[in-house]
Amino acid sequence: MTANKEKRRVISRDAARRRRQVESEVFVDLSRLLPFQQSVQDHLDKPSVIRLTLSYIRMHTLLKGKTGIKVEASHAVKCGQVMESGQEWRGCDRGRDDEEKKTDNVEASEETNMFLRILEGFLMVLSTEGDMIYLSDNVSKYMGLTQTELMGHNIFEYTHPCDHEEIRNNLRLTAEEVWCGAKRDFIMRIKGALTHRGRSSNLKSATWKVLHCQGRAKVCVAPSSVSCLLLTCQPLPLSHTLLSTHTFTSQHSMDMRFTYCDQRMTLLLGYSTEELLGRSIYDLCHILDTNCLTKNHLNLCFKSQSVSGQYRMLVRGGGYVWVESHSAVIPSVRPSKSRPGAHQPLCILCVTYVLSGVEEPSLQLSLDQAVHRYLR
Amino acid sequence: MSPWPLRAVTTHCLVGSVSLPSLMTPSSAACMSLSMEMPRKRKGSLDNQDTKSSSIPDADMEDDQNRSDGEDQNVKIKCFREPHSQIEKRRRDKMNNLIDELSAMIPTCNPMSRKLDKLTVLRMAVQHLKSLKGSASSFSEANYKPSFLPNEELKHLVLKAADGFLFVVGCDRGKIVFVSESITKILNYSRAELIGQSLFDYIHPKDMGKVKEQLSASELYPRERLIDAKTGLQVQADLPVGAERLCSGARRSFFCRMKYNKISIKVEEKEFQASTSKKKESQRYCTVHCTGYMRSWPTSHLEVDGDGEPDKQDSSYYSCLVAVGRIHSHSTPQVNGEVRVKPIEFITRFAMDGKFTFVDQRATTILGYLPQELLGTSCYEYFHQDDLPHLADRHRKVLRSKDKIETDCYKFRTKFGSFVTLQSQWFSFVNPWTKEVEYIVSTNTVISYDPSQTSRSEVKSELSSNSKTSEDDCNKSLQVILGISTTPGAMIYAGSIGTQIANELLDFNRMNSSSSSGSISPFSLPQDKCPQTHNQISNNVPNGGATDMEIPGKSSSEDEPQGAAFSGGESLMVENSQLDLDSVVGPGLSSLSNDEAAMAVIMSLLETDTNLGEAVDFEEMHWSS
Repeated sequence: MTANKEKRRVISRDAARRRRQVESEVFVDLSRLLPFQQSVQDHLDKPSVIRLTLSYIRMHTLLKGKTGIKVEASHAVKCGQVMESGQEWRGCDRGRDDEEKKTDNVEASEETNMFLRILEGFLMVLSTEGDMIYLSDNVSKYMGLTQTELMGHNIFEYTHPCDHEEIRNNLRLTAEEVWCGAKRDFIMRIKGALTHRGRSSNLKSATWKVLHCQGRAKVCVAPSSVSCLLLTCQPLPLSHTLLSTHTFTSQHSMDMRFTYCDQRMTLLLGYSTEELLGRSIYDLCHILDTNCLTKNHLNLCFKSQSVSGQYRMLVRGGGYVWVESHSAVIPSVRPSKSRPGAHQPLCILCVTYVLSGVEEPSLQLSLDQAVHRYLR
Repeated sequence: MSPWPLRAVTTHCLVGSVSLPSLMTPSSAACMSLSMEMPRKRKGSLDNQDTKSSSIPDADMEDDQNRSDGEDQNVKIKCFREPHSQIEKRRRDKMNNLIDELSAMIPTCNPMSRKLDKLTVLRMAVQHLKSLKGSASSFSEANYKPSFLPNEELKHLVLKAADGFLFVVGCDRGKIVFVSESITKILNYSRAELIGQSLFDYIHPKDMGKVKEQLSASELYPRERLIDAKTGLQVQADLPVGAERLCSGARRSFFCRMKYNKISIKVEEKEFQASTSKKKESQRYCTVHCTGYMRSWPTSHLEVDGDGEPDKQDSSYYSCLVAVGRIHSHSTPQVNGEVRVKPIEFITRFAMDGKFTFVDQRATTILGYLPQELLGTSCYEYFHQDDLPHLADRHRKVLRSKDKIETDCYKFRTKFGSFVTLQSQWFSFVNPWTKEVEYIVSTNTVISYDPSQTSRSEVKSELSSNSKTSEDDCNKSLQVILGISTTPGAMIYAGSIGTQIANELLDFNRMNSSSSSGSISPFSLPQDKCPQTHNQISNNVPNGGATDMEIPGKSSSEDEPQGAAFSGGESLMVENSQLDLDSVVGPGLSSLSNDEAAMAVIMSLLETDTNLGEAVDFEEMHWSS
């Protein structure tokens, strides 16, 4: 009796072993079909193989299906090129020989690489559930984690919990938004496994990196309806170089009251530094832009960096200019090396780009402007 | 580069972060969890969306944490043994989930009514991938490394996401040497039209100086200005201006307005286009954000088809700006020419006492006054006497509430003496950091330009006669509003109503407020990893709203969140209520109470950020070719 049992046990063990072997072989087959170098393929574990296969299939579906986005189609017609929308994505392969296609391919790759390099960011394709279906391979430069490590995972595993709500809001797409390729622009914190010097470390010593994500929705309708967000993600820099004459810097306390501004502000907007000290930025801006400023302020408070949209700053005595501010929260005194853990007062540093000339210089919209005009 | 950073980072992980709230760094979360079971996040697992703790990827982390705890051997073994079966189970679950997802994505698997076994799904996946690859062009396996996406596709994706175009312009004349195809979609010019042209032909006249400055190397221009991230102040570059400005890799970033070609109806005929452009139409511009690098190439390597112009700089080098131009999402040219018609409205700002501090220019067409005529005066001077009580009541309410307060219809006196009927929404705008009321925002909608006949006659009689009776009536209603008594003959002006109401609030606050100063922020993060509490109200609210009498509607994740309003495009305040932390960023954040903890959060973000504490490193800017 026990001999039979033993025999059955051995048989089942062997069967199990064979099954596992067969399974492993299939996994190897699958990994070989993935578009990575062999060295990379060999090091993928089983879940990763499936994860990356899923990404590959999803991207393929997204790109090869008919797009049918209204904006694209109508624009194509207007530019005198009546093309089937799906064709746009295939780069018009017809009637070209291999050699031409090869050159085009190389050019395309160079152009894209250059583009991403200049932009100092990477591309992310996000499904509506938050899966990072695709990441461009330069993601490792910014996050310290490679394309193969990250693709297919869910973004909520890598971003700051307090930003999840906002990310979810951005992923929510109505049918209308999807069809019109609605735009997205938001800031989120993501885990970055880079050291101070820019070397890759690992997830255990990850730090939060502030990313500015901009992009739009994309949909493909056939064979199945898939919608996603295409985003470029750029880490926000903490230092700026070569500010032109049309840019000024200012420093604020955490409630956005001015504590300092440079002389360019005086040249561009007319206010002297003394006049501005203690004034709130909310007093100085057009009322229709309060939303924009508040969002910027909140981003600063929670994420420590922000890019405002375009808003209007009132000019002394009348009129306004369009500006855009890039800001960050920094310690307002030099961090002390002797007491590294001590709390330091914080302040906000803004670099503001002036985008337009003074519009409507004789129009006084705020009490402040009216007073200044009177005092002149 | 020295090797010390690696070591420093490790020690930071083990020692430095234990005292900070667990939200700081992901690693500290692991270190602090000790023998607690950390739920691992799996794709497709049911609790993925709800729990917001960050995931701990693999078993190694648990090993580390056990080792670093310095627990004795027995406990260590116990920790291993218990979770080990759990680990295995999780692995299996994860694999099963992945297989399920895979089968959903493969067309051949889908129609199967019963669930397929793992091996079959995998085999079908192999078949499917083979079929997909079959349709790709054969040359893609050539020389360079395989990329996940075909290059053309990637290029399209990037350009679509970025809404941008690549361009290269020469520094001396601004000649457009190269521009990518995507410019057609953005500015509606073809490549052929642009290449060889001067960039300055396409830039707004007022921005030409700015762009010249960015391209130039002349010594007359200001030196490079850098911002030192540590101090936040400008630092004069130690480098001499000149060659360094144009040195390869120097970064440029600026905004400029560029022309865009309006969509013409008939595309083929060039003559038609030419004639339309001769019309006296104001040129349309859109704001483009240009970022890039300076680059110089030896002219011997380039075919610079110039007319032998004398070079200012070294004749063997051709300097260019290689940049990306992006349209900001807020300034997309309106190609369809659609005009959004809004109901007739204008927006004003009041100080807490009701004095106008900002008047939107649309008010002039409605009220007849120029903004400066209204600024500094009290809104009560223009309200019809009958409306004073209810408006005063609303005024009181808005100063004490976070919500939008609607007024009833009321009459507002115009410059010409007549009245228009308005209806307004008021809310107190509160500084996000201090939570103090900065001002009241009023969105005013015109209900009717022509109030009924009877009221017009009332108006006439009011204005024409300064009779005692009307003044008495006015005074009486003021007394009612203000709750004061006056001796007969004393004049109370409407303007004082506002001041009185504001003072009421200040007195009330003085009596109730704690000793917090205005600059402290009632922020902090709760001790657990993510704010789960939705309805906590902070106790030490400084001046602005006293105690919250009305709990603002909290948005749960199922409701329509107002945060969605920020996803793209500008939205006027009419579409949003008071911008609250809850509505913008997430639930539970208004429960913040301790600003020190908030500062700790931000400090840790900054401490661990890569760039902090280092001035600009020029080496990083170089373009490695």
